[in-house]
Amino acid sequence: MVTVTHYVVASAALFCIGLAGVMSRRNVLMILLCVELMLNAANLLFVAYSKAWGNLHGQMIVFFVITVAAAEVTVGLAIAILMMRQRNTLDADAVQSMKW
Amino acid sequence: MDLSLLRVELCVAVWIFVLLAADVFLAPAKKEGLSWLALAGIGIALVVSLQPLPIGPAPTGLFALDGVSHYFKPLFLATAAAVILMTQAFRPQMPQHPGPFYVLLFTSVLGALILSSIQDLILLFLGLELLTFSLYIMAAYLKTDGRSVEAGMKYLILGSVSSALLVYGIALLYGAVGDTSFAAIRAFLASGELTLAAQTGILLVLAGLGFKLAAVPFQLWLPDVYEGAPAPVVAFLAVGSKMAGAVALMRLLFLALAPIQPWWSPILASLSVLTLLYGNLGALGQRNLKRLLGYSSIGHAGYLLMGFAVGTLDSARAVAFYLLAYLVSTLAVFLIVCAATDELGGDDLDHYAGLSRRSPGLAAAFFIALLSLAGVPPLAGFVGKLLVLMSAVAADRLWLAGIGAVNVAISLYYYLMVVKRMYVDAPPSPSPVRVPAASLLALGALILLILGIGICQAPFLSRINLALIF
Repeated sequence: MVTVTHYVVASAALFCIGLAGVMSRRNVLMILLCVELMLNAANLLFVAYSKAWGNLHGQMIVFFVITVAAAEVTVGLAIAILMMRQRNTLDADAVQSMKW
Repeated sequence: MDLSLLRVELCVAVWIFVLLAADVFLAPAKKEGLSWLALAGIGIALVVSLQPLPIGPAPTGLFALDGVSHYFKPLFLATAAAVILMTQAFRPQMPQHPGPFYVLLFTSVLGALILSSIQDLILLFLGLELLTFSLYIMAAYLKTDGRSVEAGMKYLILGSVSSALLVYGIALLYGAVGDTSFAAIRAFLASGELTLAAQTGILLVLAGLGFKLAAVPFQLWLPDVYEGAPAPVVAFLAVGSKMAGAVALMRLLFLALAPIQPWWSPILASLSVLTLLYGNLGALGQRNLKRLLGYSSIGHAGYLLMGFAVGTLDSARAVAFYLLAYLVSTLAVFLIVCAATDELGGDDLDHYAGLSRRSPGLAAAFFIALLSLAGVPPLAGFVGKLLVLMSAVAADRLWLAGIGAVNVAISLYYYLMVVKRMYVDAPPSPSPVRVPAASLLALGALILLILGIGICQAPFLSRINLALIF
Protein backbone atom coordinates (compact mmCIF):
# COMPACT_ATOMS: atom_id res chain seq x y z
CA MET A 1 0.00 0.00 0.00
CA VAL A 2 1.48 3.33 -1.07
CA THR A 3 0.67 6.03 1.50
CA VAL A 4 1.23 9.78 1.48
CA THR A 5 4.41 9.25 3.46
CA HIS A 6 5.95 7.36 0.54
CA TYR A 7 5.24 10.27 -1.77
CA VAL A 8 6.62 12.74 0.74
CA VAL A 9 9.85 10.75 1.06
CA ALA A 10 10.16 10.40 -2.72
CA SER A 11 9.58 14.10 -3.28
CA ALA A 12 11.99 15.08 -0.52
CA ALA A 13 14.61 12.88 -2.16
CA LEU A 14 13.95 14.49 -5.55
CA PHE A 15 14.18 17.94 -4.02
CA CYS A 16 17.48 17.18 -2.31
CA ILE A 17 18.94 15.69 -5.49
CA GLY A 18 17.96 18.86 -7.32
CA LEU A 19 19.42 21.11 -4.65
CA ALA A 20 22.65 19.12 -4.51
CA GLY A 21 22.84 19.34 -8.31
CA VAL A 22 22.41 23.11 -8.30
CA MET A 23 25.23 23.42 -5.80
CA SER A 24 27.67 21.02 -7.46
CA ARG A 25 27.01 21.35 -11.21
CA ARG A 26 28.89 24.07 -13.07
CA ASN A 27 27.10 23.95 -16.41
CA VAL A 28 24.27 26.45 -16.65
CA LEU A 29 22.00 24.00 -18.50
CA MET A 30 22.49 21.38 -15.82
CA ILE A 31 21.73 23.93 -13.11
CA LEU A 32 18.46 24.84 -14.86
CA LEU A 33 17.63 21.16 -15.16
CA CYS A 34 18.24 20.64 -11.44
CA VAL A 35 15.92 23.54 -10.64
CA GLU A 36 13.27 21.77 -12.73
CA LEU A 37 13.83 18.70 -10.56
CA MET A 38 13.18 20.77 -7.44
CA LEU A 39 9.99 22.22 -8.93
CA ASN A 40 8.77 18.78 -9.92
CA ALA A 41 9.45 17.50 -6.42
CA ALA A 42 7.04 20.18 -5.23
CA ASN A 43 4.53 19.14 -7.89
CA LEU A 44 4.63 15.54 -6.69
CA LEU A 45 4.02 16.75 -3.15
CA PHE A 46 1.07 18.90 -4.27
CA VAL A 47 -0.59 16.00 -6.07
CA ALA A 48 -0.01 13.57 -3.21
CA TYR A 49 -1.43 15.97 -0.62
CA SER A 50 -4.30 16.84 -2.93
CA LYS A 51 -5.28 13.15 -2.98
CA ALA A 52 -4.83 12.86 0.78
CA TRP A 53 -6.93 15.92 1.57
CA GLY A 54 -9.51 15.09 -1.06
CA ASN A 55 -9.59 18.60 -2.53
CA LEU A 56 -8.39 19.97 -5.84
CA HIS A 57 -6.31 22.95 -4.63
CA GLY A 58 -3.07 21.05 -4.98
CA GLN A 59 -3.79 19.84 -8.49
CA MET A 60 -4.69 23.33 -9.58
CA ILE A 61 -1.40 24.71 -8.27
CA VAL A 62 0.51 22.06 -10.22
CA PHE A 63 -0.74 23.55 -13.50
CA PHE A 64 0.50 26.98 -12.47
CA VAL A 65 3.84 25.58 -11.39
CA ILE A 66 4.30 23.74 -14.70
CA THR A 67 3.52 26.91 -16.65
CA VAL A 68 5.86 29.01 -14.55
CA ALA A 69 8.62 26.41 -14.86
CA ALA A 70 8.30 26.51 -18.65
CA ALA A 71 8.56 30.30 -18.64
CA GLU A 72 11.58 30.09 -16.36
CA VAL A 73 13.41 27.73 -18.70
CA THR A 74 12.58 29.95 -21.67
CA VAL A 75 14.15 32.98 -20.03
CA GLY A 76 17.04 30.89 -18.73
CA LEU A 77 17.86 29.45 -22.14
CA ALA A 78 17.66 32.88 -23.76
CA ILE A 79 20.18 34.28 -21.31
CA ALA A 80 22.32 31.14 -21.71
CA ILE A 81 22.42 31.80 -25.47
CA LEU A 82 23.55 35.39 -24.86
CA MET A 83 26.25 34.07 -22.57
CA MET A 84 27.34 31.47 -25.10
CA ARG A 85 27.65 34.16 -27.80
CA GLN A 86 29.79 36.37 -25.59
CA ARG A 87 32.03 33.94 -23.79
CA ASN A 88 31.72 30.76 -25.81
CA THR A 89 31.13 28.74 -22.65
CA LEU A 90 28.25 27.69 -20.42
CA ASP A 91 30.41 27.20 -17.37
CA ALA A 92 28.96 29.09 -14.40
CA ASP A 93 32.46 29.51 -12.95
CA ALA A 94 33.44 31.53 -16.03
CA VAL A 95 30.84 34.13 -15.09
CA GLN A 96 32.93 36.16 -12.72
CA SER A 97 34.04 39.39 -14.31
CA MET A 98 32.68 41.06 -11.18
CA LYS A 99 34.03 39.80 -7.89
CA TRP A 100 31.65 37.66 -5.87
CA MET B 1 -16.65 38.12 -9.06
CA ASP B 2 -16.06 41.84 -8.75
CA LEU B 3 -13.69 43.10 -11.42
CA SER B 4 -13.59 46.58 -9.90
CA LEU B 5 -11.25 45.18 -7.23
CA LEU B 6 -8.77 44.52 -10.02
CA ARG B 7 -9.09 47.97 -11.57
CA VAL B 8 -5.44 49.03 -11.15
CA GLU B 9 -4.09 45.68 -12.37
CA LEU B 10 -6.48 45.76 -15.34
CA CYS B 11 -5.28 49.24 -16.31
CA VAL B 12 -1.67 48.07 -16.29
CA ALA B 13 -2.52 44.83 -18.13
CA VAL B 14 -4.43 46.67 -20.87
CA TRP B 15 -1.56 49.10 -21.27
CA ILE B 16 0.84 46.21 -21.82
CA PHE B 17 -1.08 45.44 -25.01
CA VAL B 18 -1.26 49.11 -25.98
CA LEU B 19 2.52 49.31 -25.67
CA LEU B 20 3.00 46.10 -27.66
CA ALA B 21 0.76 47.36 -30.45
CA ALA B 22 2.43 50.77 -30.48
CA ASP B 23 5.84 49.12 -30.63
CA VAL B 24 4.75 47.15 -33.69
CA PHE B 25 3.09 50.01 -35.59
CA LEU B 26 5.33 52.98 -34.75
CA ALA B 27 8.03 53.86 -37.24
CA PRO B 28 11.52 53.22 -35.84
CA ALA B 29 12.27 56.95 -35.80
CA LYS B 30 9.28 57.61 -33.56
CA LYS B 31 9.96 54.89 -30.99
CA GLU B 32 11.29 57.54 -28.62
CA GLY B 33 7.64 58.42 -28.02
CA LEU B 34 7.05 55.02 -26.40
CA SER B 35 8.43 56.25 -23.10
CA TRP B 36 5.78 59.00 -23.01
CA LEU B 37 3.09 56.46 -23.90
CA ALA B 38 4.32 54.28 -21.03
CA LEU B 39 4.26 57.27 -18.69
CA ALA B 40 0.69 58.02 -19.77
CA GLY B 41 -0.31 54.45 -18.89
CA ILE B 42 1.28 54.71 -15.47
CA GLY B 43 -0.49 58.05 -14.99
CA ILE B 44 -3.90 56.53 -15.73
CA ALA B 45 -3.24 53.61 -13.39
CA LEU B 46 -2.03 56.05 -10.70
CA VAL B 47 -5.26 58.03 -10.90
CA VAL B 48 -7.28 54.81 -10.69
CA SER B 49 -5.23 53.55 -7.76
CA LEU B 50 -5.87 56.75 -5.80
CA GLN B 51 -9.66 56.30 -5.97
CA PRO B 52 -11.12 55.68 -2.51
CA LEU B 53 -11.61 52.11 -1.38
CA PRO B 54 -15.02 50.48 -1.87
CA ILE B 55 -16.91 50.31 1.40
CA GLY B 56 -17.92 46.81 2.38
CA PRO B 57 -17.07 43.79 4.47
CA ALA B 58 -13.51 42.58 4.83
CA PRO B 59 -12.48 41.00 1.54
CA THR B 60 -11.98 37.26 1.35
CA GLY B 61 -10.61 34.98 -1.35
CA LEU B 62 -7.38 35.11 -3.31
CA PHE B 63 -7.10 38.83 -3.77
CA ALA B 64 -7.96 41.80 -1.56
CA LEU B 65 -8.18 45.52 -2.19
CA ASP B 66 -7.72 46.65 1.41
CA GLY B 67 -5.92 49.43 3.21
CA VAL B 68 -2.47 47.89 2.86
CA SER B 69 -2.70 47.37 -0.89
CA HIS B 70 -4.39 50.75 -1.33
CA TYR B 71 -1.41 52.39 0.37
CA PHE B 72 1.26 50.52 -1.58
CA LYS B 73 -0.19 50.40 -5.12
CA PRO B 74 0.39 54.13 -5.86
CA LEU B 75 3.95 53.75 -4.57
CA PHE B 76 4.67 50.95 -7.06
CA LEU B 77 3.24 53.03 -9.89
CA ALA B 78 5.24 56.09 -8.87
CA THR B 79 8.37 53.95 -8.86
CA ALA B 80 7.58 52.75 -12.37
CA ALA B 81 7.09 56.35 -13.54
CA ALA B 82 10.47 57.32 -12.11
CA VAL B 83 12.11 54.31 -13.78
CA ILE B 84 10.65 55.36 -17.14
CA LEU B 85 12.13 58.83 -16.69
CA MET B 86 15.44 57.17 -15.84
CA THR B 87 15.41 55.21 -19.10
CA GLN B 88 14.99 58.52 -20.94
CA ALA B 89 18.04 59.93 -19.20
CA PHE B 90 19.90 56.65 -19.69
CA ARG B 91 19.08 56.55 -23.42
CA PRO B 92 22.65 56.69 -24.81
CA GLN B 93 23.43 53.38 -23.12
CA MET B 94 20.18 51.61 -23.94
CA PRO B 95 19.66 49.50 -27.09
CA GLN B 96 17.83 50.95 -30.06
CA HIS B 97 14.53 49.16 -29.41
CA PRO B 98 12.99 50.46 -26.18
CA GLY B 99 9.55 48.85 -26.72
CA PRO B 100 10.09 45.44 -25.09
CA PHE B 101 11.79 47.12 -22.14
CA TYR B 102 8.66 49.08 -21.25
CA VAL B 103 6.47 46.02 -21.73
CA LEU B 104 8.70 44.10 -19.30
CA LEU B 105 8.63 46.98 -16.85
CA PHE B 106 4.83 46.90 -16.96
CA THR B 107 4.63 43.14 -16.43
CA SER B 108 6.92 43.39 -13.48
CA VAL B 109 4.89 46.27 -12.03
CA LEU B 110 1.82 44.08 -12.53
CA GLY B 111 3.50 41.38 -10.45
CA ALA B 112 4.28 43.90 -7.72
CA LEU B 113 0.69 45.22 -7.73
CA ILE B 114 -0.64 41.67 -7.37
CA LEU B 115 1.78 40.97 -4.51
CA SER B 116 0.43 43.94 -2.58
CA SER B 117 -3.03 42.31 -2.56
CA ILE B 118 -2.32 38.64 -1.92
CA GLN B 119 -4.51 36.59 0.39
CA ASP B 120 -3.31 33.18 -0.75
CA LEU B 121 -0.01 31.37 -1.24
CA ILE B 122 -0.78 30.58 -4.89
CA LEU B 123 -1.07 34.25 -5.72
CA LEU B 124 2.09 34.91 -3.70
CA PHE B 125 3.95 32.50 -5.96
CA LEU B 126 2.47 33.82 -9.21
CA GLY B 127 2.93 37.49 -8.33
CA LEU B 128 6.51 36.90 -7.27
CA GLU B 129 7.35 35.03 -10.47
CA LEU B 130 5.71 37.64 -12.71
CA LEU B 131 7.75 40.33 -10.99
CA THR B 132 11.00 38.37 -11.06
CA PHE B 133 10.91 36.91 -14.58
CA SER B 134 10.55 40.35 -16.10
CA LEU B 135 13.48 41.51 -14.01
CA TYR B 136 15.70 38.62 -15.18
CA ILE B 137 15.27 39.80 -18.76
CA MET B 138 15.61 43.47 -17.85
CA ALA B 139 18.83 42.79 -15.93
CA ALA B 140 20.32 41.17 -19.05
CA TYR B 141 18.86 43.82 -21.36
CA LEU B 142 22.19 45.24 -22.58
CA LYS B 143 22.79 42.20 -24.76
CA THR B 144 26.26 43.21 -25.90
CA ASP B 145 27.51 44.18 -22.45
CA GLY B 146 29.11 41.18 -20.76
CA ARG B 147 28.43 42.50 -17.27
CA SER B 148 24.72 42.93 -17.93
CA VAL B 149 24.36 39.36 -19.24
CA GLU B 150 26.37 38.11 -16.30
CA ALA B 151 24.07 40.00 -13.93
CA GLY B 152 21.01 38.47 -15.61
CA MET B 153 22.50 34.98 -15.40
CA LYS B 154 23.38 35.22 -11.72
CA TYR B 155 20.01 36.71 -10.88
CA LEU B 156 18.24 33.98 -12.84
CA ILE B 157 20.09 31.05 -11.26
CA LEU B 158 19.77 32.23 -7.67
CA GLY B 159 16.25 33.50 -8.28
CA SER B 160 15.02 30.23 -9.73
CA VAL B 161 16.52 28.24 -6.86
CA SER B 162 14.80 30.50 -4.36
CA SER B 163 11.48 30.19 -6.18
CA ALA B 164 11.87 26.41 -6.08
CA LEU B 165 12.37 26.67 -2.31
CA LEU B 166 9.25 28.83 -2.12
CA VAL B 167 7.11 26.35 -4.10
CA TYR B 168 8.31 23.45 -1.99
CA GLY B 169 7.50 25.41 1.13
CA ILE B 170 3.99 26.12 -0.19
CA ALA B 171 3.56 22.40 -0.92
CA LEU B 172 4.56 21.44 2.63
CA LEU B 173 2.25 24.07 4.12
CA TYR B 174 -0.58 22.86 1.89
CA GLY B 175 0.06 19.35 3.15
CA ALA B 176 -0.17 20.48 6.75
CA VAL B 177 -3.17 22.77 6.38
CA GLY B 178 -5.12 21.35 3.42
CA ASP B 179 -5.60 24.80 1.95
CA THR B 180 -3.40 27.65 0.76
CA SER B 181 -5.43 30.69 1.81
CA PHE B 182 -4.02 32.95 4.52
CA ALA B 183 -7.24 32.66 6.52
CA ALA B 184 -7.07 28.84 6.59
CA ILE B 185 -3.40 28.89 7.55
CA ARG B 186 -4.15 31.33 10.34
CA ALA B 187 -6.97 29.16 11.67
CA PHE B 188 -4.74 26.08 11.51
CA LEU B 189 -1.88 27.79 13.35
CA ALA B 190 -4.23 29.22 15.98
CA SER B 191 -5.76 25.85 16.78
CA GLY B 192 -3.16 23.14 16.47
CA GLU B 193 0.45 22.65 17.42
CA LEU B 194 3.19 23.56 14.99
CA THR B 195 4.16 20.37 13.14
CA LEU B 196 7.62 19.87 11.71
CA ALA B 197 6.27 19.89 8.13
CA ALA B 198 4.49 23.19 8.71
CA GLN B 199 7.61 24.69 10.29
CA THR B 200 9.78 23.62 7.36
CA GLY B 201 7.18 24.93 4.93
CA ILE B 202 7.02 28.34 6.60
CA LEU B 203 10.81 28.57 6.72
CA LEU B 204 11.06 27.78 3.00
CA VAL B 205 8.39 30.37 2.13
CA LEU B 206 10.25 32.93 4.23
CA ALA B 207 13.43 31.99 2.37
CA GLY B 208 11.74 32.72 -0.96
CA LEU B 209 10.64 36.14 0.27
CA GLY B 210 14.02 36.75 1.89
CA PHE B 211 15.54 36.46 -1.57
CA LYS B 212 13.31 39.29 -2.81
CA LEU B 213 14.20 41.44 0.18
CA ALA B 214 17.88 40.47 -0.16
CA ALA B 215 18.12 39.32 3.45
CA VAL B 216 21.16 37.32 4.61
CA PRO B 217 21.72 34.44 3.68
CA PHE B 218 19.89 35.08 0.37
CA GLN B 219 21.77 38.24 -0.58
CA LEU B 220 24.67 36.72 -2.57
CA TRP B 221 23.23 37.71 -5.96
CA LEU B 222 22.64 41.32 -5.12
CA PRO B 223 25.99 43.18 -5.33
CA ASP B 224 26.85 41.61 -8.71
CA VAL B 225 23.40 42.20 -10.17
CA TYR B 226 23.42 45.83 -8.99
CA GLU B 227 26.84 46.40 -10.52
CA GLY B 228 26.14 44.70 -13.84
CA ALA B 229 22.50 45.49 -14.65
CA PRO B 230 21.50 48.76 -16.39
CA ALA B 231 20.99 51.55 -13.85
CA PRO B 232 17.20 52.04 -14.41
CA VAL B 233 16.68 48.31 -13.85
CA VAL B 234 18.75 48.46 -10.67
CA ALA B 235 16.52 51.30 -9.48
CA PHE B 236 13.44 49.14 -9.99
CA LEU B 237 15.15 46.20 -8.28
CA ALA B 238 16.15 48.37 -5.35
CA VAL B 239 12.77 50.01 -4.85
CA GLY B 240 9.95 48.15 -6.61
CA SER B 241 11.15 44.61 -6.11
CA LYS B 242 12.24 45.13 -2.51
CA MET B 243 9.03 46.91 -1.63
CA ALA B 244 6.98 44.12 -3.23
CA GLY B 245 8.85 41.54 -1.17
CA ALA B 246 8.30 43.60 1.96
CA VAL B 247 4.55 44.00 1.34
CA ALA B 248 4.14 40.30 0.61
CA LEU B 249 6.06 39.45 3.78
CA MET B 250 3.98 41.91 5.77
CA ARG B 251 0.74 40.36 4.54
CA LEU B 252 2.01 36.85 5.15
CA LEU B 253 3.26 37.57 8.67
CA PHE B 254 0.30 39.59 9.86
CA LEU B 255 -2.56 37.84 8.05
CA ALA B 256 -1.44 34.20 8.05
CA LEU B 257 1.34 33.71 10.58
CA ALA B 258 0.13 36.06 13.33
CA PRO B 259 -0.74 33.25 15.81
CA ILE B 260 2.84 31.96 15.90
CA GLN B 261 4.55 35.33 16.27
CA PRO B 262 6.71 34.15 19.23
CA TRP B 263 8.10 31.50 16.87
CA TRP B 264 9.08 33.69 13.89
CA SER B 265 10.01 36.83 15.75
CA PRO B 266 13.46 35.64 16.98
CA ILE B 267 14.23 34.14 13.56
CA LEU B 268 13.57 37.42 11.81
CA ALA B 269 15.40 39.36 14.51
CA SER B 270 18.59 37.34 14.05
CA LEU B 271 18.31 37.59 10.26
CA SER B 272 17.85 41.33 10.65
CA VAL B 273 21.07 41.69 12.66
CA LEU B 274 23.06 39.61 10.17
CA THR B 275 21.60 41.53 7.22
CA LEU B 276 22.35 44.91 8.77
CA LEU B 277 25.95 44.00 9.54
CA TYR B 278 26.60 42.29 6.20
CA GLY B 279 25.19 45.16 4.16
CA ASN B 280 26.76 48.02 6.02
CA LEU B 281 30.18 46.43 6.59
CA GLY B 282 30.27 45.16 2.99
CA ALA B 283 29.64 48.65 1.64
CA LEU B 284 32.70 50.10 3.36
CA GLY B 285 35.40 49.20 0.84
CA GLN B 286 33.43 49.49 -2.40
CA ARG B 287 34.71 51.41 -5.44
CA ASN B 288 31.67 51.11 -7.71
CA LEU B 289 28.74 53.33 -6.83
CA LYS B 290 26.06 50.85 -7.93
CA ARG B 291 27.75 48.07 -5.99
CA LEU B 292 27.96 50.31 -2.93
CA LEU B 293 24.25 51.09 -3.27
CA GLY B 294 23.66 47.34 -3.52
CA TYR B 295 25.31 46.71 -0.17
CA SER B 296 23.49 49.68 1.31
CA SER B 297 20.21 48.24 0.04
CA ILE B 298 21.03 44.99 1.91
CA GLY B 299 21.48 47.16 4.98
CA HIS B 300 18.08 48.74 4.44
CA ALA B 301 16.53 45.27 4.17
CA GLY B 302 17.92 44.73 7.66
CA TYR B 303 15.87 47.63 9.01
CA LEU B 304 12.75 46.32 7.27
CA LEU B 305 13.33 42.90 8.84
CA MET B 306 13.82 44.55 12.22
CA GLY B 307 10.40 46.14 11.90
CA PHE B 308 8.87 42.78 11.01
CA ALA B 309 10.71 41.00 13.82
CA VAL B 310 9.20 43.34 16.38
CA GLY B 311 5.85 42.28 14.97
CA THR B 312 3.55 44.91 16.46
CA LEU B 313 1.09 47.04 14.52
CA ASP B 314 3.28 50.07 15.25
CA SER B 315 6.32 48.36 13.78
CA ALA B 316 4.37 47.43 10.63
CA ARG B 317 3.39 51.07 10.26
CA ALA B 318 7.00 52.08 10.84
CA VAL B 319 8.04 49.72 8.03
CA ALA B 320 5.43 51.29 5.73
CA PHE B 321 6.85 54.73 6.49
CA TYR B 322 10.41 53.46 6.11
CA LEU B 323 9.56 52.11 2.66
CA LEU B 324 8.13 55.48 1.61
CA ALA B 325 11.26 57.31 2.78
CA TYR B 326 13.51 54.68 1.17
CA LEU B 327 11.55 55.01 -2.07
CA VAL B 328 11.96 58.77 -2.47
CA SER B 329 15.64 58.77 -1.43
CA THR B 330 16.68 55.79 -3.56
CA LEU B 331 14.81 57.00 -6.64
CA ALA B 332 16.51 60.40 -6.32
CA VAL B 333 19.92 58.72 -6.11
CA PHE B 334 19.25 56.56 -9.16
CA LEU B 335 17.83 59.43 -11.21
CA ILE B 336 21.19 61.13 -10.76
CA VAL B 337 23.14 57.94 -11.49
CA CYS B 338 21.14 57.30 -14.69
CA ALA B 339 21.47 60.87 -15.90
CA ALA B 340 25.16 61.17 -15.09
CA THR B 341 26.54 57.75 -16.13
CA ASP B 342 26.95 58.67 -19.79
CA GLU B 343 28.61 62.05 -19.26
CA LEU B 344 30.80 60.93 -16.38
CA GLY B 345 31.94 57.89 -18.34
CA GLY B 346 30.92 55.20 -15.86
CA ASP B 347 29.54 54.49 -12.42
CA ASP B 348 32.69 54.03 -10.37
CA LEU B 349 33.13 56.36 -7.43
CA ASP B 350 36.16 57.86 -9.20
CA HIS B 351 33.86 59.13 -11.93
CA TYR B 352 31.96 61.20 -9.39
CA ALA B 353 35.07 63.04 -8.18
CA GLY B 354 34.53 66.78 -8.10
CA LEU B 355 30.89 66.63 -9.20
CA SER B 356 30.17 69.68 -7.02
CA ARG B 357 32.41 71.82 -9.22
CA ARG B 358 30.92 70.47 -12.46
CA SER B 359 27.23 70.58 -11.46
CA PRO B 360 26.66 72.10 -8.02
CA GLY B 361 22.89 71.55 -8.13
CA LEU B 362 23.17 67.88 -9.03
CA ALA B 363 25.80 67.32 -6.35
CA ALA B 364 23.62 69.05 -3.74
CA ALA B 365 20.65 66.85 -4.67
CA PHE B 366 22.88 63.77 -4.45
CA PHE B 367 24.12 64.96 -1.06
CA ILE B 368 20.58 65.33 0.31
CA ALA B 369 19.43 61.96 -1.07
CA LEU B 370 22.46 60.13 0.36
CA LEU B 371 22.05 61.74 3.76
CA SER B 372 18.40 60.73 3.75
CA LEU B 373 19.43 57.14 3.00
CA ALA B 374 21.89 57.34 5.89
CA GLY B 375 19.19 58.67 8.20
CA VAL B 376 20.28 62.22 9.02
CA PRO B 377 17.67 64.59 10.46
CA PRO B 378 15.56 66.35 9.29
CA LEU B 379 15.31 64.18 6.14
CA ALA B 380 12.77 61.46 5.34
CA GLY B 381 15.15 58.56 5.98
CA PHE B 382 15.78 59.76 9.52
CA VAL B 383 12.10 59.57 10.45
CA GLY B 384 11.79 56.09 8.92
CA LYS B 385 14.75 54.76 10.90
CA LEU B 386 13.60 56.52 14.06
CA LEU B 387 10.12 54.98 13.85
CA VAL B 388 11.52 51.46 13.31
CA LEU B 389 13.98 51.80 16.19
CA MET B 390 11.33 53.30 18.46
CA SER B 391 8.93 50.46 17.74
CA ALA B 392 11.73 48.03 18.73
CA VAL B 393 12.31 49.94 21.97
CA ALA B 394 8.58 50.02 22.70
CA ALA B 395 8.47 46.22 22.38
CA ASP B 396 11.42 45.83 24.80
CA ARG B 397 13.93 44.85 22.11
CA LEU B 398 16.61 47.26 23.27
CA TRP B 399 19.49 45.17 21.91
CA LEU B 400 17.89 45.13 18.46
CA ALA B 401 17.42 48.89 18.51
CA GLY B 402 21.00 49.31 19.71
CA ILE B 403 22.42 47.30 16.81
CA GLY B 404 20.24 49.31 14.45
CA ALA B 405 21.59 52.57 15.86
CA VAL B 406 25.21 51.39 15.52
CA ASN B 407 24.52 50.56 11.88
CA VAL B 408 23.24 54.07 11.23
CA ALA B 409 26.70 55.30 12.22
CA ILE B 410 28.46 52.76 9.98
CA SER B 411 26.28 53.65 7.00
CA LEU B 412 26.85 57.35 7.55
CA TYR B 413 30.56 56.71 7.06
CA TYR B 414 30.33 55.22 3.57
CA TYR B 415 27.65 57.62 2.37
CA LEU B 416 29.85 60.51 3.47
CA MET B 417 32.79 58.96 1.61
CA VAL B 418 30.76 59.37 -1.58
CA VAL B 419 29.98 62.96 -0.60
CA LYS B 420 33.68 63.59 0.06
CA ARG B 421 34.52 62.40 -3.47
CA MET B 422 32.01 64.85 -4.89
CA TYR B 423 32.97 67.86 -2.83
CA VAL B 424 36.68 67.53 -2.01
CA ASP B 425 38.36 65.66 -4.86
CA ALA B 426 39.33 67.41 -8.09
CA PRO B 427 37.11 66.80 -11.15
CA PRO B 428 38.66 65.09 -14.20
CA SER B 429 37.05 67.66 -16.50
CA PRO B 430 35.26 70.95 -15.76
CA SER B 431 32.28 70.46 -18.14
CA PRO B 432 28.87 70.47 -16.41
CA VAL B 433 26.69 67.31 -16.53
CA ARG B 434 23.58 67.79 -18.65
CA VAL B 435 20.35 66.22 -17.41
CA PRO B 436 17.08 65.98 -19.40
CA ALA B 437 14.40 68.43 -18.26
CA ALA B 438 11.88 65.73 -17.27
CA SER B 439 14.44 63.97 -15.07
CA LEU B 440 15.42 67.28 -13.51
CA LEU B 441 11.79 68.01 -12.72
CA ALA B 442 11.31 64.56 -11.15
CA LEU B 443 14.54 64.95 -9.20
CA GLY B 444 13.38 68.30 -7.85
CA ALA B 445 10.05 66.79 -6.80
CA LEU B 446 11.80 63.89 -5.06
CA ILE B 447 14.17 66.19 -3.16
CA LEU B 448 11.20 68.30 -2.05
CA LEU B 449 9.50 65.09 -0.90
CA ILE B 450 12.60 64.00 1.02
CA LEU B 451 12.58 67.32 2.86
CA GLY B 452 8.78 67.46 3.15
CA ILE B 453 8.33 63.93 4.51
CA GLY B 454 11.18 64.51 6.94
CA ILE B 455 9.99 67.84 8.30
CA CYS B 456 6.23 67.39 8.26
CA GLN B 457 5.48 63.70 8.83
CA ALA B 458 1.98 64.04 10.25
CA PRO B 459 -0.11 63.71 7.04
CA PHE B 460 1.92 60.70 5.88
CA LEU B 461 1.71 59.03 9.29
CA SER B 462 -2.03 59.54 9.56
CA ARG B 463 -2.45 58.11 6.05
CA ILE B 464 -0.46 55.03 7.10
CA ASN B 465 -2.35 54.67 10.38
CA LEU B 466 -5.65 54.70 8.49
CA ALA B 467 -4.43 52.25 5.86
CA LEU B 468 -2.58 49.64 7.91
CA ILE B 469 -5.00 47.73 10.08
CA PHE B 470 -4.54 44.01 10.55
